[in-house]
Amino acid sequence: MTRTDAQPLIRMQGVNKFFGSFQALKNINLEVHRGERIVVCGPSGSGKSTMIRCINRLEEHNDGHIIIDGKELTDQVNDINAVRREVGMVFQSFNLFPHMTIVKNLMLAQQLVRKLSKAEARDTAMHYLERVKIPEQAEKYPIALSGGQQQRVAIARALCMKPEIMLFDEPTSALDPEVINEVLEVMVDLAKEGMTMICVTHEMGFARSVADRIIFMDEGEIVEEAPPTEFFDNPKSERTKKFLSQILTH
Amino acid sequence: MTFDIDLIVESLPLMLMGIGITLKLLIVSGLLGLMLAVCLLLMRISGKWYLSFPAQVYIYIFRGTPILVQIFIIYYGLPQFEAVRDSILWPILREPMGCAIVALTLNTAAYVSEILRGGVLGVSKGVLEAGSALGMSARQKFIYLTAPIATRLALPAYSNDVISLLKSTALASTITIADMTGIARTIVADTYAPYEIFISLAIVYIIFTFGIQKLFGAIERYLGRYTEREG
Amino acid sequence: MDALTGWWDDYLWGAVVVGQVFVCSLILMIVFGLLGAMAKISNSRTAQKIASAYTVIFRGTPEILVILLLYFGSAITLTAIAQIFNPEIRFVDVPPFWAGTIAISLIVGSYATETFRGAFLGVSPGSIEAARALGMSNLQTFIYVRIPEMWRLALPPFGNHMLSLIKDTALISIIGLNETMFVAKQAITVTGKPFTMYIVVGAIYLGFSTVVTLAVMGLEKFGERTTAGAK
Repeated sequence: MTRTDAQPLIRMQGVNKFFGSFQALKNINLEVHRGERIVVCGPSGSGKSTMIRCINRLEEHNDGHIIIDGKELTDQVNDINAVRREVGMVFQSFNLFPHMTIVKNLMLAQQLVRKLSKAEARDTAMHYLERVKIPEQAEKYPIALSGGQQQRVAIARALCMKPEIMLFDEPTSALDPEVINEVLEVMVDLAKEGMTMICVTHEMGFARSVADRIIFMDEGEIVEEAPPTEFFDNPKSERTKKFLSQILTH
Repeated sequence: MTFDIDLIVESLPLMLMGIGITLKLLIVSGLLGLMLAVCLLLMRISGKWYLSFPAQVYIYIFRGTPILVQIFIIYYGLPQFEAVRDSILWPILREPMGCAIVALTLNTAAYVSEILRGGVLGVSKGVLEAGSALGMSARQKFIYLTAPIATRLALPAYSNDVISLLKSTALASTITIADMTGIARTIVADTYAPYEIFISLAIVYIIFTFGIQKLFGAIERYLGRYTEREG
Repeated sequence: MDALTGWWDDYLWGAVVVGQVFVCSLILMIVFGLLGAMAKISNSRTAQKIASAYTVIFRGTPEILVILLLYFGSAITLTAIAQIFNPEIRFVDVPPFWAGTIAISLIVGSYATETFRGAFLGVSPGSIEAARALGMSNLQTFIYVRIPEMWRLALPPFGNHMLSLIKDTALISIIGLNETMFVAKQAITVTGKPFTMYIVVGAIYLGFSTVVTLAVMGLEKFGERTTAGAK
């Protein structure tokens, strides 16, 4: 791959998204470079999830352009699948396949989408299960695992596809407090290895220590964008200040 | 009024001779109906109106009219048309068994396709989104995700439908077929002993029903093994 | 279509009979269903056992068999009883209307037992506790909390029970009830057009099914007027 790091991996230009008459995204402009770690925060309904779901076409944007790794995201099934191969996603509700064992969960897409053999898929699966520190759960069904373990499996499942970019949609919001850390640790490790990631989260501690840039969204717009120190210590917009005061004091 | 046990002892074997026909009606119609139901389901969820609409109309008609009427239309009604009598299907449609199987198949397919659709609707959206995010195609998602999960969800309702199908086979007796009920009616006409005959026949059906329930219970437990928490 | 002239009146009366059966069997079905549900929920083991036997018997026996048994059996029983009083009586006839109506009410009532039981148990215990904590009496809790939630839960399956009653009415023609199937049989001997005649029967039943389905949909919307729009 001979791309210069100057060319952004993700570029969103003038993106608008409507649900019926409700405008969920207003003129979104965003650039993410390879290796960058972005955290997106904001109140409920601000459009944060919608924005990252547009990146892998789980939602369709109505206006503007989304360009991933030089390829524009359009209606064409080939374009969409090409993007989805490079973009991994981790969901708030884990969304493991309930009727398959953990290791099969990790193998399925490798075999169907990347066309790997069963043996290769299994090797990769076990490798990433060890990365997230639960190789012994391989033959169990998702229902037997705790929330934190299931989410780590979900991360491993996305990593098995060797994506260029990882999207996290409130990965710890559905977890009990005791297990949030085990998931955050995996994400921190991932960040340290240089994975490009966009993370929608309320975990401000994680944001402060890992993010290169924090993006604050409100009512469908990107209100403020800054590195963590600047964002937390010197917020510029009133709305940002209001949001920070609400979530940082209790 | 006495309860004639001897009569029951004599008649039961005669009625049980009809079991072969009852089973044939049940199994052949059940399997053909299931295949047709899957076709109807795929048409129904295809998203294309020229497939979905005919399927919906079919289901509406076959679930909205009594199965007896459907049997009579096929057995008594179709021979009204020369086109039917000349067609290649005539050898089947001429025979009461053929008509019964056709009618039962068409009827059960309508109910089962709705049951399967219920299962498909029950598959959690998140699981399908995860499949999409991993790059799986629509066909791959249906085969590896939707179908296995929907089958397990639909199983209880499907087992009820199999039991209904068993009970519907008794209607074959109205078009001269000598299934268990057909034989029973003949015996009652001769002996004027409806209680003994019909009650013992009812017990046979009830035992059958038990058997079907136990069978499906075992299938449900096997398929549902990933829903049981361990430890 | 000319074959049908002159028969529309008879079909209309046949349809009226279907309507009459529906109304009577609906009331009886509710009675049997409620009795069965109350017996299953009660603390009496005997009542529970009887109710269980009731549901097993009538859910496992073909409908046609129940109808035949009730019709012929009751004729024989009543004849025997009447002969005690007046030995000259040869035969007491039971009107097919009542034999058939009671039969299908018992059958669908056994399914309704489960529906009502499920609806009763499905009322959220939280609501009941809240009512008690607010000082409402048992009767008040029953009327203002239990019943509104119950009928909302029971409505969809109850709609299906009503459809079953309508469709099972066609079976009563076998014992001579003068409804639409019976009319068709007569019309066929005169006109020789079985397909046409039975299609009309099908259309009449489809009409009834549609009306019931629309009514249930309307009631469901009415029931949801307070919860619609909640996410």
